[in-house]
Amino acid sequence: MNGARATIGRDLGRILQALAGLMFASVAVSLAWREFWAVPGMVLSGLVPLGIGRVLTRRYGGADEPGKLHGMMIAAGGWAAVGVFGSLPFLTLAWTVELSPAMLATPEMTPTLAAFRDPLNALFESTSGFTGTGLTMTDDEEVLPRTLQWWRTFSEWIGGVGVIVLTTAVLARPGSGSLTLYESEARSEKIHPSIVSTVRTIWWIFVLFTFVAILALWLAGMPVWGAINHGMTGLSTGGFSITDNSIATYDSVSIDFVMLPVMVLGSIAFPVHFLILRGDLRNFYTDLQTRWLLVLFVLGSGLLVGVLYFTGTIDSAFAAFRYGTFQFVSALTCTGFQTAVGPVKNPENVALGNWPAMGQLTVTFGMVVGGAAGSTVGGIKVIRLATLLKGTRHRVAGVFYPDTAVRRLTIDDRRLSDEEVRREFEEAAIITFLWVAFLGLGLFVLLAVLPPGEYTLENAVFEIASAQGNVGLSTGITGPSMPTVAKVAFLFNMWIGRLEIIPVLVLLRGVFSRGGLYR
Amino acid sequence: MRPRDLPVIHGVIEAGPNDRVFDVLLLSGPLVVGLVALLGRENVVSAGVASAYLAAFCGYVLYKGFVSGE
Repeated sequence: MNGARATIGRDLGRILQALAGLMFASVAVSLAWREFWAVPGMVLSGLVPLGIGRVLTRRYGGADEPGKLHGMMIAAGGWAAVGVFGSLPFLTLAWTVELSPAMLATPEMTPTLAAFRDPLNALFESTSGFTGTGLTMTDDEEVLPRTLQWWRTFSEWIGGVGVIVLTTAVLARPGSGSLTLYESEARSEKIHPSIVSTVRTIWWIFVLFTFVAILALWLAGMPVWGAINHGMTGLSTGGFSITDNSIATYDSVSIDFVMLPVMVLGSIAFPVHFLILRGDLRNFYTDLQTRWLLVLFVLGSGLLVGVLYFTGTIDSAFAAFRYGTFQFVSALTCTGFQTAVGPVKNPENVALGNWPAMGQLTVTFGMVVGGAAGSTVGGIKVIRLATLLKGTRHRVAGVFYPDTAVRRLTIDDRRLSDEEVRREFEEAAIITFLWVAFLGLGLFVLLAVLPPGEYTLENAVFEIASAQGNVGLSTGITGPSMPTVAKVAFLFNMWIGRLEIIPVLVLLRGVFSRGGLYR
Repeated sequence: MRPRDLPVIHGVIEAGPNDRVFDVLLLSGPLVVGLVALLGRENVVSAGVASAYLAAFCGYVLYKGFVSGE
């Protein structure tokens, strides 16, 4: 086990050093916005993971490459560590303003920033950011310091592609260890034979698309700071906003419709983007996940628009189309941007929490399924839905054939033998079962701690699916005043949702087994 | 030392789909975003450059897909 500790410790150290680099880079934003009072807090926040990371990498520098077990533990431990240490900027900046040292010209404390004096709120915000969830502990994002607005955005942008993908790209460590870690972070697709080349190309595509998204939103009418932040969180399907009412703040039809392709881009697998950039546009319909995704966008949006219009929730057909399409795309891409927030600026706007149960459950379906594996989204992923549906049909149809019949199942242009079908079907079924089981567990906890009568069952199902699917849409349950137990439960749901559950269970089994709690 | 030997430019050229047009778009992205941030919406140059950037990206993706794709 000492060998395991060394391997895990060394790689966690590398992840922490990469995180520290992100914090130091963010000091440029503090300087650009002349928030000089925030610089010491950001530097201090970076020094802590840097110091711990350096100690770990030096002590365990010669450790073995990780195997599958270690890879899962590193992924689960790494994401937990990034959540914990990523909360430091929230804590340090909130306490800097609270203590208001004489030599720093700190701004007035706001209730929104004051919420981050509580370490649990800071941890929630950080975990929500890095997992790309977008549920927030803030009351009003607009009054946050620009440095923290940026840190929330940056955490989602990095988390969308993956902390381990970042570390692998930066450290350029070739070999099987990087591949193991890459696969442990809920990724399996390779663009090039080399894993380092693959992750660098993923970042290449992601950065180019980020510039495109920012400029498209700016041309649609969004202010430049909003376009930078929302372009980054939209493409990474994170959903953090810098405005109080998410995208509804702008109340702009053009911004709503420009945001749709940005979110859709984030939900398509990177290898498909790569092929499309190479000139192979056929992948929009030849790739199974992309094809299913586009069909689901059309069917789900159509159903939601119909529900909103024909139940009289929204009177205008265009408004039903505008809000229904945006919210379904936001849910299926696991982004979590919200335009349905109530009649704050537009009398036709009805808050998500007040939509009919069928409308909320349609959005919930989108959040549970999610986008394509190999993209930036959460949920169980389209490929698993396809495997379950095709596998079930294959199994049922098999009854009508003689036992000696040789049958193949085709999934995504791969002709699978019976053994391969069983393996892939089993993997999809296990993930889906665990996903639903933890959804039920989270729902049980949430219903136990929420004030009775304040929220409906569909509100609670919606919220917990949003947390576990790393979506971020909210019916109003999530906030700094939600019960502590619910915050802890959501932290767990966000963590397991990002890693597709199994690496977290492997880590917990390892920890409990070592502590003698599990045999 | 040639520009392509600089670390950032070398990294950009080495990764991605090996296409010089996309490489140029990626490398010029920060400059265009910086330009619109500095000049603002009222300035016709910033709007023109941003529009040209988007048109170049979309147009080139379609051009590669329909005319010179693999």
